[in-house]
Amino acid sequence: MTDGAGELFERLGAVEQVPLLKQASGTMLLELTGAPRTERWRIIVDKGEVQVARGPGPADCMLRADRKLFARMAAGKVNAFAAVLRGAIKIEGDPRLLVLFQRLFPGPRS
Amino acid sequence: MSGELVKVLDGNIFVVSDDCGDIEASLTDPTGLFAYDTRFLSKWVLTIDDQRLNALSVDDLQYFETRFFLVPGTGTVYIDAKLSVIRQRAVANGFHEVLTILNHAEKPARLRVRIEAASDFADLFEVKDALEKKGKYANHVVKGSLRLGYERKTFKRSTLISSSQRAKVDSDGLTFDLRVPAHGEWTTELDVVVEGPGYGELELPKGRRRRTMEANLDRWLASAPRIACDWEPLKRTYNRSLVDLAALRFAPPITGGRSLPAAGLPWFMTMFGRDSIFTSLQALPFTPELAATTLTALGEWQGTRLDDFRDEDPGRILHELRYGELTAFEERPHSPYYGCADATPLYVVLLDEYERWTGDRKLVRDLEYEARAALAWIDDYADLQGTGYIWYQRRNEETGLENQCWKDSWDSISYGDGRLPGFPRATCELQGYAYDAKMRGARLARAVWNDPAFGDELERQAADLKRRFNRDFWVEDDEYFALALDVEGKQVDALASNNGHLLWSGIVDRSKAKAVVRHLLGPRLFSGWGVRTLAEGETRFNPIGYHVGTVWPFDNSFIAWGLRRYGFKDEAATIAAGILDAAEFFDGRLPEAFGGYEREQTKYPVQYPTACSPQAWSTGTPLLLLRTMLGLEPLGDHLVVDPVLPAGIGHLELLDIPGRWGRVDAFGRGRVEVASRRATRRR
Repeated sequence: MTDGAGELFERLGAVEQVPLLKQASGTMLLELTGAPRTERWRIIVDKGEVQVARGPGPADCMLRADRKLFARMAAGKVNAFAAVLRGAIKIEGDPRLLVLFQRLFPGPRS
Repeated sequence: MSGELVKVLDGNIFVVSDDCGDIEASLTDPTGLFAYDTRFLSKWVLTIDDQRLNALSVDDLQYFETRFFLVPGTGTVYIDAKLSVIRQRAVANGFHEVLTILNHAEKPARLRVRIEAASDFADLFEVKDALEKKGKYANHVVKGSLRLGYERKTFKRSTLISSSQRAKVDSDGLTFDLRVPAHGEWTTELDVVVEGPGYGELELPKGRRRRTMEANLDRWLASAPRIACDWEPLKRTYNRSLVDLAALRFAPPITGGRSLPAAGLPWFMTMFGRDSIFTSLQALPFTPELAATTLTALGEWQGTRLDDFRDEDPGRILHELRYGELTAFEERPHSPYYGCADATPLYVVLLDEYERWTGDRKLVRDLEYEARAALAWIDDYADLQGTGYIWYQRRNEETGLENQCWKDSWDSISYGDGRLPGFPRATCELQGYAYDAKMRGARLARAVWNDPAFGDELERQAADLKRRFNRDFWVEDDEYFALALDVEGKQVDALASNNGHLLWSGIVDRSKAKAVVRHLLGPRLFSGWGVRTLAEGETRFNPIGYHVGTVWPFDNSFIAWGLRRYGFKDEAATIAAGILDAAEFFDGRLPEAFGGYEREQTKYPVQYPTACSPQAWSTGTPLLLLRTMLGLEPLGDHLVVDPVLPAGIGHLELLDIPGRWGRVDAFGRGRVEVASRRATRRR
């Protein structure tokens, strides 16, 4: 994967401690739909420690989005909460994780 | 519409109807069923044999439940009604309505009962600003129910209407052809359910809903301190405040179901940084859990990036979060919007005050990162001019907020001669909050975060800020603090109520306090009911100008706290007396603001025309005034009580005040004679 989402996962895989997520624990399952096939990633946060795993598995919050849209979100171009409100991405489970998860994305200016 | 609007609410779901229970909204009119900033019903009209009904009475059973007693006929004279109609409505994920028709005649009645329903799915911003819709409407009859729908691309909202009795359903409503026996009755239950992303998570099984809400309210009231007082109206005001505060709690799905105070009905039933913090501060001695939720939720939403559209910076506390269509399509920046300059320092103030009352160090440890980020924001992002002050200027010039302080209307910040300063602006109270945040941050750094060096640094910064502030903002000739500094560092010299917030923050030099108090209680600012937002005599002064002359109860509660902080106990009691007297005229429910007319002139407080009511920080005002009058102050693991009460109150007891001491009682007796009080008090 060479889009923004792939870069995000690479970046997250490389860092171990994200201070912004010090208070967060939980697993976010991402279902990225669209061609060529649906991909599943899990981001596991344990008090700021972040791991990235490929494939399905148990999660506290599931986010389903079109891959292109997710790539734009991961690049800081699309606001996650607004996208949920307009039904462009779907979430199931604990919605608080989405708020914290968005901290991993860069801002529109960077 | 025949009379007063009737409101039923629970958090951010509310119904505003006429006194028959009917809704017939136009685009710009705030009646309807609202949830998540969207109107889900704009029409809900009951007829019997094509006739509208007449209201006999309305009973507010609970904040979430109302009963309407109606009779057929729309004239002013009833034609010997043989029927009566009862609509009992409770808010719950939409609303639940029990419709009962009683036949008083000796023969059966054949009736055609019709409910017309429609929705414009207006975003509250559209209602406020009269904007047009961009999507498509479609209503469907599904299995005996009616679904009103609206779609714009992926954005879908719908309202599902169903009844327990079989109805003929068409795309505009439900019809019941029925027969009510002689001296008999007919009843049906109607359910109106709002549908949108994430909404379902709030839903409770039917039947359990109401009981849960009732039990929840009972628990809320039982856990708050009890009041005993010779002055009956104060008891009423206190109880009204507790119930309204319960009604204004809301649990947005995105915060995991915990509740915090929404700002106010009808426009602001959502999370506001500033309002939630001020309300939590006012309510701390009574319901400390509100503060805990506010701190946690605002911490989770704290800004982490630079986003010009949302005026977001790292460490900044949000201003306003919205759920409507305009936010969804980023036509408005409220997802969330961060353009507010006071919530961030106030966040640290609340965190410290919360710990002083509750001793909950765990939360302070958990939120260390957020608190440090908030303190860093003051120096790294708010000092737009590099002069060591908090300045504000929106980066979103189209839909962002111009004035990012609590007085956020366009003309609120002016020079004495009426000119408006350019941007950025540094209003005075922001510097007070920054000072207080640094001082309190220093205490937390030492007491909880185990970082005395950080504490020393913060205290050094605070002392420096205080020294500069007392030099740069002090209007030497008239002896008060200027409302703001302009871009050139010159004083925006109008005299305003902000001086009271400065006392509250502690930034005022002791030597200057007396002069400030003289102004606050002097004829230009004090109306007899309370301190005006802007002093009489300033060019822009207008007794019914939103932030330029009206009296805001919330403002006064913090001014009274500030007066206590500097030892002006009698003056604090005078303000408490004025505001509590005003509350009596509003049946214990203080509005957002009332006119700044002289008390002697009008004899009663004139409500500001479009003020929100109930409004959270007005609701919290009597609570903070009680704290102030009783002189409640945590000191280590003890609660200090130092009562100074206005004379008319007589004996006052506040029992079972929760805190790190467990529960304690406070007693006081009125002794401060307040001029103008007896003469105008309604009997």
